[in-house]
Amino acid sequence: MSRRAPLRVVGQPVPRVDAVEKVTGRARYVTDLVLPGMAHAKILRSPYAHARVRRVDTARAGARPGVIAALSGADLTWCDPYFGPAFRDRPVLAIDVARYEGEPVAAVAAVDELTAAEALDLIDVDYEPLPAVSTLEEALAPGAPLVHTGEPLAGHFADLATLRPQPGTNVCHRFQWARGEAAAALAGADLVLEDTFRFPPVQHYAMEPHAALAAWDETGALTVWAGTQNPYSVRVELAKMFGVPLGRIRIVVPHLGGGFGSKTYAKLEPLTAALARATGRPVRLAASAAEAFQTVRRCSARVSVRVGLRRDGTLVGVTCDADYDVGAYADIGPRVVQKGTYTATGPYRVPHVALDARAVYTNTTPGGAFRGFGVPQLAWALESLLDVAADRLGRDPVDLRRQNLLAHGEEFAPGDTPIDGKLEESLGHAAQAIGWTQTGAADRGRGVAAMLKASVAPSVSEAIVRLHADGSVAVLASAVEMGQGTRTVLAQIAAEVLAVPVARVTAVPPDTAITPYDQTTSSSRSTTMTGRAVQMAAEDVREQLFRVAAEHLGVPARELALADGAVVAAAGRLAYPEVLAIRFGMSGGELIGRGVVAPGRTAAPLGGSTPFWEMAAGAAEVSVDEETGAVRVERYVSVADVGRAVNPLLLEGQDEGGVVQGLGHTLLEEMVYEEGHLLNGTLLAYRVPRADDVPRALECRFVENADGSGPFGAKGAGEGSLIPVSPAVANALARLTGVRLRDLPLTPERVWRALRARGSR
Amino acid sequence: MLRPFVLHRPRTAEEACALLARLGEDAAPYAGGTELLLLMKLGLLRPRHLVDVKRVAGFDDIADGVRLSIGAGVTHRTVERSAAVQARCPLMASVARHVGNVRVRNVGTVGGNLAFADPHSDLATLFLALDASVELVSPRGRRELTLAEFVRGPWETARAADELLTSVRLTPWPASTAAAFVKFGVHERPTLGIAVALRLDGSGTGRARVVDARIAIGCVNPCPARAPGAEARLSGVALAELEDVAGEAAALAAASADTADDLYGSADYKREMVAVFVRRALRAAAARARGVAPVAGFPHTIVA
Ligand SMILES: Cc1cc2nc3c(=O)[nH]c(=O)nc-3n(C[C@H](O)[C@H](O)[C@H](O)COP(=O)(O)OP(=O)(O)OC[C@H]3O[C@@H](n4cnc5c(N)ncnc54)[C@H](O)[C@@H]3O)c2cc1C
Repeated sequence: MSRRAPLRVVGQPVPRVDAVEKVTGRARYVTDLVLPGMAHAKILRSPYAHARVRRVDTARAGARPGVIAALSGADLTWCDPYFGPAFRDRPVLAIDVARYEGEPVAAVAAVDELTAAEALDLIDVDYEPLPAVSTLEEALAPGAPLVHTGEPLAGHFADLATLRPQPGTNVCHRFQWARGEAAAALAGADLVLEDTFRFPPVQHYAMEPHAALAAWDETGALTVWAGTQNPYSVRVELAKMFGVPLGRIRIVVPHLGGGFGSKTYAKLEPLTAALARATGRPVRLAASAAEAFQTVRRCSARVSVRVGLRRDGTLVGVTCDADYDVGAYADIGPRVVQKGTYTATGPYRVPHVALDARAVYTNTTPGGAFRGFGVPQLAWALESLLDVAADRLGRDPVDLRRQNLLAHGEEFAPGDTPIDGKLEESLGHAAQAIGWTQTGAADRGRGVAAMLKASVAPSVSEAIVRLHADGSVAVLASAVEMGQGTRTVLAQIAAEVLAVPVARVTAVPPDTAITPYDQTTSSSRSTTMTGRAVQMAAEDVREQLFRVAAEHLGVPARELALADGAVVAAAGRLAYPEVLAIRFGMSGGELIGRGVVAPGRTAAPLGGSTPFWEMAAGAAEVSVDEETGAVRVERYVSVADVGRAVNPLLLEGQDEGGVVQGLGHTLLEEMVYEEGHLLNGTLLAYRVPRADDVPRALECRFVENADGSGPFGAKGAGEGSLIPVSPAVANALARLTGVRLRDLPLTPERVWRALRARGSR
Repeated sequence: MLRPFVLHRPRTAEEACALLARLGEDAAPYAGGTELLLLMKLGLLRPRHLVDVKRVAGFDDIADGVRLSIGAGVTHRTVERSAAVQARCPLMASVARHVGNVRVRNVGTVGGNLAFADPHSDLATLFLALDASVELVSPRGRRELTLAEFVRGPWETARAADELLTSVRLTPWPASTAAAFVKFGVHERPTLGIAVALRLDGSGTGRARVVDARIAIGCVNPCPARAPGAEARLSGVALAELEDVAGEAAALAAASADTADDLYGSADYKREMVAVFVRRALRAAAARARGVAPVAGFPHTIVA
């Protein structure tokens, strides 16, 4: 009966629970933590893109007063010095070879940061520079220098066991998938279009750079306070590295100053823990913003797509050959390639498909997870080409898309979850809001794009909800608060089920010794998966309340409901403290509820069925300065199919952020390499979007049909808004000027060149 | 990370120069620190002594006499807000308002900007167009150099190690001068800056003519440079006909530019942008002369 009651807090724009601590500067991040005797670490990084490390002499550094330990890769004999989620190909500190500029080669822990930094100057490294490959072309050329010569060890995660490098090449993983007869379908199509698109390497620029603080205790147990999006994966890596049981490793995650994928899987934690072990002290390692450019980036890509259509606009076949540059170490790159390529056909019904993608090693910063996880690279290609197709067929781009959209309940791929949203509604709202059918100003162009993305599957989330003696509630879950508002959303869900105000609920920060297992805070999954676990745990508490109250009141449990912090029946009400006092016979004890979401493996192509499909559409209106090529996004509308907006305020913030981040790689951002040397690895030279780049009219809307598998019909969001941005903007530019750009970002110079090549009209 | 250093805070220019002379290579003048501290944090410079010029008497003065004199320690923000600058050289105030971002403007100084001689300096470009000169002081005395004499190349000036920049001086052009500064770019520092100043006679009447033209091109050359061919072409042109010759002058300016490929763009693109923005700057200046506010609606473009 309570399930049917109108929602009280879910769906409300509840202000984030940590707003005050954040705006007053009191929210604590890893670098705010101080432990007695804590040492500070600094990293010496390779100045070469590729070099043999003949010898690292840390003796002088180690002898410097105030230095507690100076380590190189060769010193790490007392632990497994390799880590990595897909393959264990990444040494904690370079061993024999440095594979990218900025790779950690040695590290120092000292009494303070300055002493550590100064000690780095005293480390002598004998490098023998080797030929480097810094582009896909170089890496894939016959006889190219190899980034890795031996076969790497498999990673620690069973669900990634299918990933394989191709020995003797720079191909780190190849993913192929086909349905139907793509070649034949294209041969029979009325219109076949083919083109190659490029997506640049970009950095996440989370405002808080990577940081970790590690301490071993007297019993040999390890605690790491880490800025990580998945404490449980970090725990596995450290357990394998040090041969310590999982239960003796504790990962605590305070607030994160942004993640965007840059803090998934282990990053600085292995080195920090090794230094703590070597020094016998707590060690803190806090990277700089410039070091983030040397830690992880988005996988750049070169994508060739062929689409075949019938004259009436029906898509009949798509082939996609994508090469992703995953940099010097696999990180989660192979999985990015696999997951991204899987939805290369977007939200469309395509009977014949052939996908072939490679993850390619180069001597550049490792590429890993980044908001969109491989999908933006492919959506850039497909959604651009669809507009070309519409143009060639004399069709309206919105209509052409609508005609081919997968419908609610339709199969995307055999064995995977049927489509669980109505993208036609998102696309329709986006088109309408941008005024698609109305004539616009002559100097403005409009474009649309859509996206589809699978979430990580299978995955596991567990949660515990505790109802305390005073009727207040604690939610124990390991979804990481990184600005997206997950603590608020989880509190709302528990508050809804248990009929208490959000202020009575505390979401406990992730701590693997306290908060139960959660696979990862990524893939837009937390509200759906962790949220569902919290909902189930809260329902478990509710059932316990009902049981106690039913017995006490002598009424059947089904006649009970929760309201205002009490169990209510026709006969009367029992406030939670009373129920607990009855249950325990005194004012002590608590009710503990448990929720587990573990859908398990399925026959879906990637081994698990996506818990939901992330779907969104975007519409852009742009202007261009034809003389300079500078593009301005005047208006932008994003519409995401979210099932239910548990918190519309936070959701809007997520999607506005996603759009603006998308404008970064669309118009501004690119890590520029010259022979393996990163030319713009600081924020002075690398331009992220600023407040004045935000379109003057930016609208984020939602489609809510309560058709998601998450709590109250919710499904994931937060990545969807970013993905259509590039093609929507480029499509708008093409419709305005007649020029089609294939390389991101759309810098003024690139646009200017295209306009010049087009000539004057 | 920033390494430790000794901070000296002299009260007089003499004291400051003596410190610089004594400490030699190991010292650097320090004003707002927006450039210096960045280089020190990156480890590209490691002076062990910083000689803070912000407390040196007179360095933060703006003196309004026959010439307008801006102390080396005056911040962009102060220039922007100075009543004297607004009255005597409004373009300078307007350029100051658009330097970098608010943090840079609040602490960055005129002297630091010029002494650093980054090719992307707006001030050097503007001052070159306005025939400004700089005053330097050292234990050997004071000297005055024109801006062209002072800025020798990228990050290179005529300043001796123990010399300090004390002020920039210029004789403001008549109020009737048609002037504009236009800059363009997506990065933190501008990709291009163009300063235009046209001295007019018979202004206010429809028959105003250019009697003297200054065009300075910034950012794309190794150091800011005048465009003499373009300037000559504009001389004697009636304001009403400026639009007709703007294209020609712009082409001459572009031809004179010494552009190179870098992260800001390719040489040919930047050359073409010189033409575009000289035209726009001339148009903006002409509009102002007619009492019309110039159009500033282009993306990534600032019209000061
Ligand atoms: C993000 C960013 C954006 C910027 N954008 C712009 C822009 O749009 N346009 C523009 O023109 N500039 C721009 N700048 C440069 C800025 O104007 C200058 O950084 C600033 O004015 C320098 O002054 P400062 O006082 O901070 O110099 P400091 O950093 O203190 O010094 C710079 C150099 O000058 C020397 N020096 C300082 N004062 C004196 C003196 N009196 N005599 C002799 N030598 C001296 C120092 O030793 C040092 O070598 C930008 C800078 C940044 C960081």
